[in-house]
Amino acid sequence: MNNKKSNKLLSLVKRKVGIAVAVSTLLCSVTGLVSTTHADETCMSPYMAKIVGQEDFVYIWTLGVEGLGDGQDKLVTVDVNPNSPKYGKVIETLSVGGRNEAHHSGLTDDRKYLWAGGLDTNKIFVFDVHTDPAKPTLNKVITDFVSASGGVVGPHTTYALPGRMMVTGLSNNADHGGRTAMVEYTNEGKFVATHWMPTDENLNGAKKSGKYADGYGYDLRALPRRNVMVTSSFTGWSNYMMDLGKMVKDPEAMKRFGNTVVIWDLHTRKPKKILDVPGAPLEVRCAWQPNHNWCLTTTALTSKIWLIYEDDKGEWQAKDVADIGDASKIPLPVDISLTSDDSGLWVNTFMDGKTRYFDLSDINAPKQTYEKQIDKQVNMASSSWDGKRVYYTSSLLANWDKKGDDNSQYFKSYVWNGKELDEKFSIDFNALKLGRAHQMRFGAYSLYSKKKPEMSEVKKVASIVE
Amino acid sequence: MKVFSVGVILFGCFLAMFETSATSLENNSTSKTIETIPLAPGFGSLGYKMAAAGSYKLPPLGDAADGKILDEQGREDTLHNIYKGKYTLLSFIYSNCKDVNGCPLASFVFYKLKTLMKKDPELADKLRLASLSFDPEHDSPEVMRLYGANFKFAGDKGEWRFLTTPSLAALDPILQSYNQDIQREMSVNGEETGDISHILRVFLVDPKLKVRNIYSLGFLHPEVILADIKTLILEDDAYKISSNDEPDQDHLAPILSVPGDDKDGYETGSYTTRSKSITARRGAKADLLALAKNPPLGLPAVPEPETNPLTAEKIELGRRLFFDRRLSFNDTFSCAICHIPEQGFANNELAMAIGIEGRSHRRNSPTLYNVAYNTSLFHDGREETLEQQIWGPLLAHNEMSNPSVGYVINKIKKMPDYKGLFEKAFDGGGVNMRNLGRALADYQRTLVSADSSFDRWYFGKQEDALSKKAQRGFQIFSGKGRCSTCHTISDKHALFTDQKMHNTGIGYNEAMGIKPAKERVVLAPGVFVDVDTAIIDSVGEKKAADTGLYEITQNPDDRWKYKTPSLRNVNLTAPYMHNGSLQTLNDVVSFYNKGGVANDLLDPLITPLNLSDQEQSDLVTFLQALTGSNVDTLVSDAFDAPIGDLTNSDPNWAHGRSEY
Repeated sequence: MNNKKSNKLLSLVKRKVGIAVAVSTLLCSVTGLVSTTHADETCMSPYMAKIVGQEDFVYIWTLGVEGLGDGQDKLVTVDVNPNSPKYGKVIETLSVGGRNEAHHSGLTDDRKYLWAGGLDTNKIFVFDVHTDPAKPTLNKVITDFVSASGGVVGPHTTYALPGRMMVTGLSNNADHGGRTAMVEYTNEGKFVATHWMPTDENLNGAKKSGKYADGYGYDLRALPRRNVMVTSSFTGWSNYMMDLGKMVKDPEAMKRFGNTVVIWDLHTRKPKKILDVPGAPLEVRCAWQPNHNWCLTTTALTSKIWLIYEDDKGEWQAKDVADIGDASKIPLPVDISLTSDDSGLWVNTFMDGKTRYFDLSDINAPKQTYEKQIDKQVNMASSSWDGKRVYYTSSLLANWDKKGDDNSQYFKSYVWNGKELDEKFSIDFNALKLGRAHQMRFGAYSLYSKKKPEMSEVKKVASIVE
Repeated sequence: MKVFSVGVILFGCFLAMFETSATSLENNSTSKTIETIPLAPGFGSLGYKMAAAGSYKLPPLGDAADGKILDEQGREDTLHNIYKGKYTLLSFIYSNCKDVNGCPLASFVFYKLKTLMKKDPELADKLRLASLSFDPEHDSPEVMRLYGANFKFAGDKGEWRFLTTPSLAALDPILQSYNQDIQREMSVNGEETGDISHILRVFLVDPKLKVRNIYSLGFLHPEVILADIKTLILEDDAYKISSNDEPDQDHLAPILSVPGDDKDGYETGSYTTRSKSITARRGAKADLLALAKNPPLGLPAVPEPETNPLTAEKIELGRRLFFDRRLSFNDTFSCAICHIPEQGFANNELAMAIGIEGRSHRRNSPTLYNVAYNTSLFHDGREETLEQQIWGPLLAHNEMSNPSVGYVINKIKKMPDYKGLFEKAFDGGGVNMRNLGRALADYQRTLVSADSSFDRWYFGKQEDALSKKAQRGFQIFSGKGRCSTCHTISDKHALFTDQKMHNTGIGYNEAMGIKPAKERVVLAPGVFVDVDTAIIDSVGEKKAADTGLYEITQNPDDRWKYKTPSLRNVNLTAPYMHNGSLQTLNDVVSFYNKGGVANDLLDPLITPLNLSDQEQSDLVTFLQALTGSNVDTLVSDAFDAPIGDLTNSDPNWAHGRSEY
C-alpha cells in the first residue's frame, strides 16, 4: 500500500462522510463505497455522520470505585486499530472528579463532542473528541441539568438530533421515583426544553392504549422517515442507585419499574401513543432498512424481546416475540445491538455473563442461534457497522454489579465471523485500577478530527479497506 | 470565472433532474428512481402526516450570530440586518456543490418554498430565504447572483437572498458560530478539488434573532418548514398553544397526600396506572406558625424549647433547607428525598432507605408528621432534640455524607440564595451549627396533623364523624387488641405512642431468622417468579447488623427493641415497622394477631390476639381513620417550597473547580 493510494482513500473518506454516508443511513440505501466501508456502532443516531473504515479508538465511560485507584469516574481511551503499535492498550484516561454514576454517552451529530451523563450527580460531561481523537479533553460540564430542566434527574441517553442533543432522564428531584422527562439541549449545551413523559394526569395528547401510563423513561431512538421517536422506561433513582440484592428483596421497590414504551411525534416532541410493554423495557434499537418500520426493545425483568412496529393501518403496536433465557432466573437482558442489515440482534444477559445472538429472519419470531459467556457478568455490546467486530464491557450500575470475585470489570474485543466470536484482546479494569467499564463509543482520525495521523499510520486505514 | 460558470450551469441541470425525480417520487413511490438514486426525503413527498401548525412549540435554540456578508450587488451588509423583519431560512451552500443531497437539496427545498409564495401571500410576507456561500474565494457576488438566476421560475413573490462573504477571514467566525465544519477536498496529487465536505444544516431564524429550528437531511422538507413557519406566525398572533406543562382538563381529583406514582394493586394483573404529573405538583404556602401555635383537634400544644421558640422566619428558612438537595455532599439529597411530603413525609417506595451514591440504610424512613411530640428520635431513640438530630443524617456516610460540620456551614454560606436569610431569622446571627439545627427543627415542628375522623368522633363528640366499622375497630384497638397499651390515647388528646422501646420480634427475625431458599419477586403487574435466594445474594451486599436499642445502651436486654411510632396518618406511611418489612396495614394487624415473632426478649405485651377476620378488618378501618384533615394543607405548602438544586450561580464548589 503506497501513500498515494492511502491519500486517496482518506480523501474519499472525508468527502463521503458528511453527506453521502449520512444520507445512506437516513434513506437506508446501499451504494458502493458507502456500504462496504461503514464502521460504527449500529445503535447511533441516524442523524450522525458515520466513521468510514476501521475505528481507531473506543472511548469507555468508566465508573470510579471508592478505594480503587483515584476513585473517580473517567473516560478511558483504548486503541483498537489492529495496525496500531498501541493496539489493545489503554492510551489515555481522563478523570472528571467524583463518582457520578457514569452511565451512557453519545456523540453530537457532528461527532465533535461526546456527552457523558452521570445518573447520580446529574452532571453531563462534554468531551472534545475531535481536536485530538487519541486524547479527549473535557470541554465543559453541565451542572445545572436538574434546575434547568425543572426537576429531571438521571441524564441517561444522550441522543443526537440536528444541532441538538436529546437527553432522556430516569427520575425526578421530588421523590427520586421513575416519573421523568426528556431534556433538549443545543449542541453548545444550552437548555432548550423539557418534554415530560405522559402520565395519567397529563397525557399531553397521547393515547393510553393499554393499562399503563407510568411516566417513566430510559432510552430513546428515532425513525426519522416515519417521524417517530420511541422511548422506553426503566426505574427511578431510588432503585437504580440501590444495591441490587437489597432491591430484589424489597417488594415495594420492585413495583417501581416501567411498563411502557411511548411513541412520539419526532418533529413536535409530542407523545402520540403509550404502549404496554411490561417488565422494564430498556434499550431501543430501530431498524435501518427502508421497508422496516419497527424497533426492538428487551424487557430487563420479564426477559423478552418486544417488537414495536407500525401495522398496515399506520398504527404503532407492541408485541413480545421471543424469550431470552429462563425468566425465572432473572437473566437480566441489558444491552442489545442490532446489525445494520436488521438480520440479527445481540442480546447481553447480565446475570449469566452471556452474549446471545438472535436471528431476525422472521422479525415476528426471533430465534437464538448462538451464545457465548463473555465473563461472570456482562453489560454493554458495541458492534461495528459491518458486524465484524464486537466489543463488550462489564458494568451495569455501581450498586447492581456483582460482588466479590464475580465483579469482573473489563473491556473485551472480539471478531465475529458469522458463526463464532473470537476474542482478540481483553483489558482488566480492576487490575489497572480504572473502575467499572460501562458505555462505549467509537472514535477515528478520519472524521472531523483536527489532528491527523502521520502518513506512516495512514496505512492502517488503507489496509482495512483492502 | 469560467470554472465557476460551469458550476452554476451544472446546478441548473441538477435542478431540472431533481424536479423530475421529485415528481416521479410523488407520483409513484415504487418507481425505479428511488431504487437507484438515494435522494433525501426533501426531494419527495413527506411520507408521514405533518402535525398541524400551532399544535406544537419551537423553543428558541439560542442566538443567531451576526457576521459581515456581501449581497448580490457586492454591497457590504450584516446577517443581523438581513434577518430584520421576517423569519429567515439560512442555508450554507457553495455554487460548485455537486453532491445531490448537499447544497442542491437545500436550494431545491428553498425553490419549492419560493414557489409556494406565489399562492401564499402571508408566507411571502413573513418568510425570507437566504443562501450564504462558504466558498467566498470562488463564489463572488456575481457568481451568487448567477446562481440565484437558476431559480427565477419560482416566481417573483417573496424574497430569496444569495449572499457571500468578503473573505475566508470574514466567513470563519460565521461558520464557527453556526457550528458548520467544512473540509476542503484534496486530489490524489494534493491539490484542492473544489469540493467541500460539510454537514448540511439549515437554520430557521426569527425576527428577534433567535434560532428556532435546525434542519438536516432527514428534516429538510418544504412541508415541515412550512408547518414550522406557520407555527411561529401563530405564536406571534398570541395563539394559545396547549402546553406540555399544563395538566389535562380532566385530571384526577385534587388530593395531594397520595403518592404521585401509586402502585396500589400492582400485584394483580388488573393493575392500571394512576400516575400524577410532576409539573402539576404545585401548592400554596400555608401559615405554618399559626398551625403549630394552634394544633388541630386531638393534639396537645406543640412543645417549644425555650432556646428555640417558633418564628415565621425560622420556619421559612427551615423549609427551604429541608428541600435543598445541595445540603448533601454531592448535591443530590435533601431531607425531603427520604421524607417525601405526599408519601406521608416518609417514603412509600422503599422498605429501607438509601443514601447518597445509593448507600444502604438499615431502616425505614419514619414519618415526620407530629415529630414535634417525640421525646426521642430515630427508631432506636438515640437522639433527644430535633435541633441536634439533623446532624445525624447530614454527616452519616450512608445518608447525606458531608465530611464535617464546617463543610456544611461553609457551603451554605456560599449559596447565593441563602444570603441574608439566617441573619433575618436569627436577629443578625449567621450560618452556624446551632442556627442550622434550629431552623430545620422549627419547620419540622410545624408538621402537626390531626383532626381526623377519629378525633372529631372521640374528642369532638361528633357521632357521625366515624363510621360504624371504624368505631368497632376502635373497640378492638382499645380492648381485645390491646393496641392502645403502647399506642396511647389520653382524655384530651392522643399521640398514639407511649414513646417507649419494644421488642416485637421483627428485628430478632431479621437478625436470627432462617432465610427462605427462594424469594417471590414481582417482575411486572401480576407477574411473579420464585428466585433462588443465592442468585439474589450474588448481587447484594451483606446487610449491616441491626440490634436496635442495644446499640445505644449496650444492655443485652435491649436487643431488637425499637420505638413505638405514632399511628397518626399511618395510612399514608407504608411500608411499616422499623425495617419496612410489612407492606400493608393488613399485614401489620395480622402480624400482631399472631403474637409477633417469638424470641427470649419478646415484649410480654405481645401475645396472640385471636382476632377474627372481621375484627382485623375493623381494626384496619379504624387505623385508616387516623388521617388528619390538614395533610393536604401541609403537602400543598411543601409543594410550594423551592427544591434546591445546583444552578449556574452557585459558586465554584458546585462545578468541580478547586478553591484552594
